[in-house]
Parts: sequence; C-alpha cells; structure tokens
Amino acid sequence: MRYLRSLQIVRVFVALIIGIAFLIPIYITLTTSLDKAQNVFTFPPHLLLDFNFANWARTWHEYDWLLYYLNTIVIAIATIIIALGTTILAAYALSFMRFPGQNFVFALVLVVLMIPSETFLIPNFVLMAQVHLVNTRIAQILPYGASAFGIFLLRQFFLTIPRDYREAASIDGCGHWRFLWSVAVPLARPILMTIAIYIFIGTWNSLLWPLMVTATPNVQPIEVALATYLTSNSSDWQGLSAAGMFATIPVVLLYLFFQKRIVAGISRGEGIRF
Amino acid sequence: MQSVPYAAQIGTSKWRRLLVASLFLLPAFVFLIVFVYLPTILAFLLAFFNYSPGGTTTWAGTSNFAQAVSDPVFQLSLGNSLYYAAMIVPLTLLFSVAIALLIAKTSRIYSFLRTLILMPYVTPTIGTAIGWLWMYNPSYGFMNALLSFFHLPVSQWLASPSMAMPAIVIYSLWHGIGFDVIIVLTAITGLPQGVLEAADLDGARFFRKLFTIIIPLISPTLFFITVVTTIGSFQSFSQMFALSTGSGGPEYATTTTLFLIYQTAFKYGNFSYAAAMAIFLVLGIFALTMLLRWIGNRVVFYQ
Repeated sequence: MRYLRSLQIVRVFVALIIGIAFLIPIYITLTTSLDKAQNVFTFPPHLLLDFNFANWARTWHEYDWLLYYLNTIVIAIATIIIALGTTILAAYALSFMRFPGQNFVFALVLVVLMIPSETFLIPNFVLMAQVHLVNTRIAQILPYGASAFGIFLLRQFFLTIPRDYREAASIDGCGHWRFLWSVAVPLARPILMTIAIYIFIGTWNSLLWPLMVTATPNVQPIEVALATYLTSNSSDWQGLSAAGMFATIPVVLLYLFFQKRIVAGISRGEGIRF
Repeated sequence: MQSVPYAAQIGTSKWRRLLVASLFLLPAFVFLIVFVYLPTILAFLLAFFNYSPGGTTTWAGTSNFAQAVSDPVFQLSLGNSLYYAAMIVPLTLLFSVAIALLIAKTSRIYSFLRTLILMPYVTPTIGTAIGWLWMYNPSYGFMNALLSFFHLPVSQWLASPSMAMPAIVIYSLWHGIGFDVIIVLTAITGLPQGVLEAADLDGARFFRKLFTIIIPLISPTLFFITVVTTIGSFQSFSQMFALSTGSGGPEYATTTTLFLIYQTAFKYGNFSYAAAMAIFLVLGIFALTMLLRWIGNRVVFYQ
C-alpha cells in the first residue's frame, strides 16, 4: 500500500512538472513584456512577474492593433457564416435526400479531404490575381467558403437523427426547407457551434494564405501583423512579447471559455484543422 | 444509409428530387469547384507553363520539373522536410501516449493539466513562437539557463544549423501535442475495463499491460495520429517562418519544401517553378500516405 501511495505522489509530481513545462513559454512571454527594462537582459532570466505596462502601451501605439483585431474578426465571422451555410445545405442533401448520383457527390466531397492544401495554394493566388482580389479581406474569406470536413461531420450527425422525424414531418406536409431549419439545424446546434469555434481559431491563427494574399495593413489579420512586427523589430524583446500577448490572450480566453466544447470536438474528430 | 424513400418522396420523380438536391448542394460546390477542383488542375497547368502575373505566359514543357530535380536547395528542402517529419512523428506518438497515460485519471489535478496541455494548440503560432525565440536566445534565454542549472553544455539553438530544426520540433511538440494527447486519452478511456482488470488480477506488471493490451487496443488511434502528423508535418509553415524570423535559416537549415515554395513564389515571383515544386511535394505526401496505409494494414490491430 505504501508503495502504491508513493507511486501516486510521484505521478502527481511528474504530471505537475509537465503542466508547468506547458505553461512556461506563455508565462515567460508575459513576464518579459511586463518586466522592468533592467531585468530583461539578465542571465539567468528574471522569472518573477512585474507589472510594468509601459511596453504594452508603447507597442499598442506602434501598430494599429485594433484594426488588425477588427480585420481578423470580420474575416472569421464572414467565413463562419458562409461556411456554415454551405455546410448545412450540402450535409442535409447528402443525408436526408435521395437522388441519383448521391454516392458520387459524396465521393467528390471526400476527395477534397485527400488533397493536401499545398496543391491549390499557388493556383488560388493566381486566381485571386486574375480577378483583382489580391489584398482584400474577401480573398481571405472565399477560399474557406466550403468545408469538406464540415460537410462530412455534419452529414454523419444528420444520419443519426431518427428517420421517423422526417417521416412524421412530411406526413404533416413539412417540406425539406422547413424541416431543415426547424428540426435538423436546432438538433445540430452543438456540433455547429464547435465547427464555428474551430473556424474562428483557425482564422485567428492562419498565416500562410493571408501572408501570400495581402500586402497592406488595412486588410491584414493579426498573425500577419505579428509576422511583420517580428521581422522588423527582431531584437526588441519587450515589444515583441507584448505584441505576442496581444495576439495570444484573446484566443486563450476563448479557449478557457469554450474548453469543454473544444475538447469534445477533438475527441469526436471535429478538431482537425480546417 | 437506407434506400427506402420517405412518404414525401413517393410520387416525386427522380429528376425532381435531383433538382431539389442540386439546389442544396450548389452553394458548397461553387466554392469547392472554384477553390479546390479547378485549382488542382490549374496547379499542373501552371507547372508546365512559365506564368508571370501581368506578363506573358509561355509554354515551359517539363523544364520547371527538370530544374527542381537538379536544384540543390530544393533537394535540401526535401531533406529538411523529411528530417522534421522523422523527428516529429515518433516523438508525437511517444509523448502523447506517455502524457495521456499519466493524466488518464479522473481528478481535479489531471483535468487541470489537460487544460494546460491543450492550451498551446489554440494559440497563434507567431504569438507564442516569440516567447520561444526569446527562450532559445543563446545568451539570455531560459533554455540555456535550464541547461546550465543541470550543468549540461549550453546550445546555440536557433542560431546553430544543426540545432535549429530540433529546436523547431520542440516548439511544435509543445504547440501541437495537446491535440494528440486528447485523442489518445479518448481511446484509453474507451478501453474495455474488464480486460484491464483481468490483467491486474493476473498480476500483470504495468509495462506488460502497456505493450500487450493497451497499445494493441489503441493501435488504430496511434495509426490515425501517425498519418495525420505525417501529412501535417509537410504542411508546417508558421513555426519555420516564426522561429527563423522569416529567413528559413541559418544556412537553409529550416527551409522546408513548403517554405521554399512560399519563398519562390512570393519573394522571387516565380509561380510556375513554385507550382512544379508543390506537385513534387504533393506526390511525395501521397506516396508516403500510401506506404503508411500499407504498413498500417499489416501492423494495426482492429477489434
């Protein structure tokens, strides 16, 4: 018994060290941004938390962070609305309807999941250049207007709704459109919410495509602004850390708030990056 | 799937049902056609031409592909991508199973730890890589402080061509492993308790239980993680960009193929050459996925 007891203590101890290891990088970014200037270039590093917000204020005024927040949020919300709309309609057709060629259409959706995104990165840029949409917010929204993975997930969920519901509804003269919006979508609310959260986080964190397709701050999202800030101030550690915090804190809060959904989303397969 | 028509559908003709379904499918497929199917075809076309934005486009034949094959930087980038994958995939498997086993227990402490371990997964890569850049600083960084605390030799980390990629792997593990831990945790929680209890009654030691019961039973999950991490590793870009401050250095050490494709297209404006490299990369990923599936069918234990 005593052996087992001490084993449990060791287990908790190891687990705590791992937990601290996961927290430390974010904690260090925070302390560096809030340190007094004389404590930054010290070895070993100064790890205590100061509350010197001067660097936050300075960095906040160097870039128009509010604009970047706004751009990111606008892009994310537009993507969520469009992607959820297309996903709901397509998933409904592929689960509640019977039509010729259905299996072929579903296969076409699955094929998308097998094409790595590198394939269409450059052609999509060329496409945007041809239609003069480079350096717009629209160019950052449209390519994510349909989510094959979302269609796949939602279709699976719709297939679990008892067929009798649809049966009963159609006997009462309820058509597809009404059934979709008054029965199927309300039932799917949790899964739609999870998909929306993942699109939001994905947009907040996306770098490569916005980096390619934008050039000026007025349309850029936060990660791109941060990339610019990083490559132009690479030794201003306090400013960089403060900027890093500006980008990180909102998603961390979102994460803490929606943690249960995010975890459940991963264990059900929704957490794969869109 | 059931093939019996609903009451509402009896009497409606096949073509009418097709029309209604098409209207529901149309919005999604407009986006998929414009941004996935057509670009996939266009990717091949681009590689066979010399395209310049606003300029003239000329037939290039296979010259872009030939150039890629003999380009030492392209070869180096493939090596870097493979090196990254070869480190991240086994380490992800190892640590996700180890951490999941450690915290697979219902208690306040362990669910709090789960929160901490998954947190980096949702954070923006550049936002958190800044902290790591600072931690990896050879003179003032936390990593070297840690090493010297344990009297270990310090490292140049990102400034050293041989340590830069391993340093990125450490970052990526920190950033991404929460996802895999949750997946393994779900698999472990779903294990049949009877089997584990029977093993306990037989006095099986932990490692025996791990290798003869737990790992075989969760092998489909481990295979899933292997495939997803492998494919994902070739799509990693943000961490290379952030931790090399946009350079792919030192000495091309962190220039992965995707990074090179980005640079070729957007720094040097050579879209067709970048498209040719992308095709090689995608074919490589495809071949690797097929190989993994082939191995998976022989190794994975499906109940």
